Amino acid sequence: MTRPLKILVLVLALAVVGAACGDSGDEAATTTAAPATTAAPTTTAAPTTTMAPEDPISLIYVSPNPLGVNNFLILGEVGTQRVAERRGGTWKTFESVDDSTRRANIEAAIDEAPDVIVLTTFTLVEMADEYSKANPDQKFIIIDACPDEPAPNLHCGVFREHEGAFLLGVMAGHLSEAKQIGSVVALDIPFFKRWWQSFAEGAQSVDPSIENSAVFIAGDNPFSDPARAKELALSLAAQGPDHIFAVGAGSNGGIFEAAQEAGFLSYGVDVNECPSAPGYIVDNNLKVVDAVVEQLLDQVLDGTAGPVVSFGLAEGGTGVMALQPGLADSQCVIADHPDIVEEVRAVAEGIIDGSIVVNDPLFG
Amino acid sequence: MFDQLFDAALFESVIRAMVPILLAALGGMICERAGVFQIAMEGMMLAGAFAAMAGSYLAVSSGLGVVFGVTAGVLISLMLAFGTVSRQGDPIVLGIALNLMALGLTGFLLPQIFGVRGTFIDDRIDGLDRLPIPGLSEIPWIGPALFDQTILGYLAFLLVPAIWLVLFRTPLGLRLRGVGERPLAAESLGVSPTAYKYGAVIASGVLSGLAGTQLALGNLVLFAEGMSAGRGWVAVVAVMLGRAHPFAVFGASLLFAFAEGLGFRLQGNGLPVQITDALPFLVTLIALIAARKRFARLLDLTTGG
Repeated sequence: MTRPLKILVLVLALAVVGAACGDSGDEAATTTAAPATTAAPTTTAAPTTTMAPEDPISLIYVSPNPLGVNNFLILGEVGTQRVAERRGGTWKTFESVDDSTRRANIEAAIDEAPDVIVLTTFTLVEMADEYSKANPDQKFIIIDACPDEPAPNLHCGVFREHEGAFLLGVMAGHLSEAKQIGSVVALDIPFFKRWWQSFAEGAQSVDPSIENSAVFIAGDNPFSDPARAKELALSLAAQGPDHIFAVGAGSNGGIFEAAQEAGFLSYGVDVNECPSAPGYIVDNNLKVVDAVVEQLLDQVLDGTAGPVVSFGLAEGGTGVMALQPGLADSQCVIADHPDIVEEVRAVAEGIIDGSIVVNDPLFG
Repeated sequence: MFDQLFDAALFESVIRAMVPILLAALGGMICERAGVFQIAMEGMMLAGAFAAMAGSYLAVSSGLGVVFGVTAGVLISLMLAFGTVSRQGDPIVLGIALNLMALGLTGFLLPQIFGVRGTFIDDRIDGLDRLPIPGLSEIPWIGPALFDQTILGYLAFLLVPAIWLVLFRTPLGLRLRGVGERPLAAESLGVSPTAYKYGAVIASGVLSGLAGTQLALGNLVLFAEGMSAGRGWVAVVAVMLGRAHPFAVFGASLLFAFAEGLGFRLQGNGLPVQITDALPFLVTLIALIAARKRFARLLDLTTGG
């Protein structure tokens, strides 16, 4: 009961709270997923090539977390590197671990005054807003998030997730024998309608009689409670759906286990999750971060970028494994259905040329 | 509508959800009886889940997973025992600190050891086998729910009467309760409160470690950051609601698990998640208000005064 001890414990607790909060924030934003995904070059940092054909450019990528095996963040670096090498210039990566290193890294990047500073994920959105307004001459881009009123020197690259989800729905529409589909979703907030509602819309575009139901994980830890997600998925599957979309980020592992036990087929998000349950995951709603970074950087360097640029199927910013070159090795169920892949390709082309309109559930 | 709500699968789901909560709550209950307010079950469970997964992965053996899970629970319980019993620190402050430490430490070790963030799934992780009891497990409705458990599931059920026997029918249990209720009197009779409190806290470390093991190797076969997801706190409430009596704690754990399982079903039937999510708390409130007097009377009868 000694006072110094009490204070020590309190300080310790607060320190850990801080660390834990930082962690959970990233969790929600970057939606970490299972390991083992496609192409992941292990290069870190290191400036390269200074061929300088005309006006050499310089780029700095500030990641909110260590790249490690986080495919989302690695692809941010890949995109930055590709632009620098194609245009003849230099690039650097500053990896952050917490809020203080994030700030230090962004400030260090501003000191070097590169042509563009590349930021990724929701974790950095407030700093992007703050530093872009404080440094009006420095250009920034941020991927997968956007402040409410971005400064003129900040350009946001956001995804049209509903287009990929629609394609997954088309697959489910063709494959579902029960004519019932469902989604297990982290939270009941409008943003996630881009996944579950567009999934249902895609399936109903194939067969309007298909019934849809969505259930929500909620609880204390919706993005990382696989046990709860598993029970929820089992309970949903018991009511009939044979195709269930897993929109639970870190909770997805439980849904895939439920798929293996109850024998339904599932769909993943963000990266290729098929290897975590081969034979039970049809496909994934992908975010192709490198393509988005590359295109947005080009637009900014050419001076054509708008304040918020959205990337969907047409730009190659979102997609499904079925239309990716790595399909054969993806371990996804869709690889065994070349006829449906062709159907999906036709729908994707329709979405790209505008003959098929996918409603954005967020705005309509 | 009731056809869709109540079926055999619901009972299985309820029992699965209950086992980790019950294991942790039984440990918390022993501490409560020994006069230590235990709220570190959440952290012990998470550390147990991580260690069990790690042990099972490294040795490709669920047996070693159990050993690792228990060890992790015991290590944290030793910190709690040292802080609250030997140094007389505040168990609430220390409990919260340990919970946060477990969350931070497992989140740190996951990428360090296994090279992933968030979730770790691998075929090498050896899950606990289910051991159906021939004959009994074929009884409709309750058979698959009760008699098709992992070893830890059966253990949880057997521990309820076993702990009741020890607490209320043995000198050991009498002394433990004496330490909790009248430490000075116990000490004057030559019973060491320190030893009994240490024992109780370590026992809860073992049980919470097993709870985490069941979660990571029984209910699921994977580890996800923060996967205990509040179950340790539910166990704390189950101890309070059950007034630290084994059968009542069992009932409280079952009640929470049932409310959760039913909530999932109701959601599937179109009830909004905001309502079904509140169900366990509503059930708790109703149980507290409606059954308070009956609980008290029942407890007086069963504890033998």
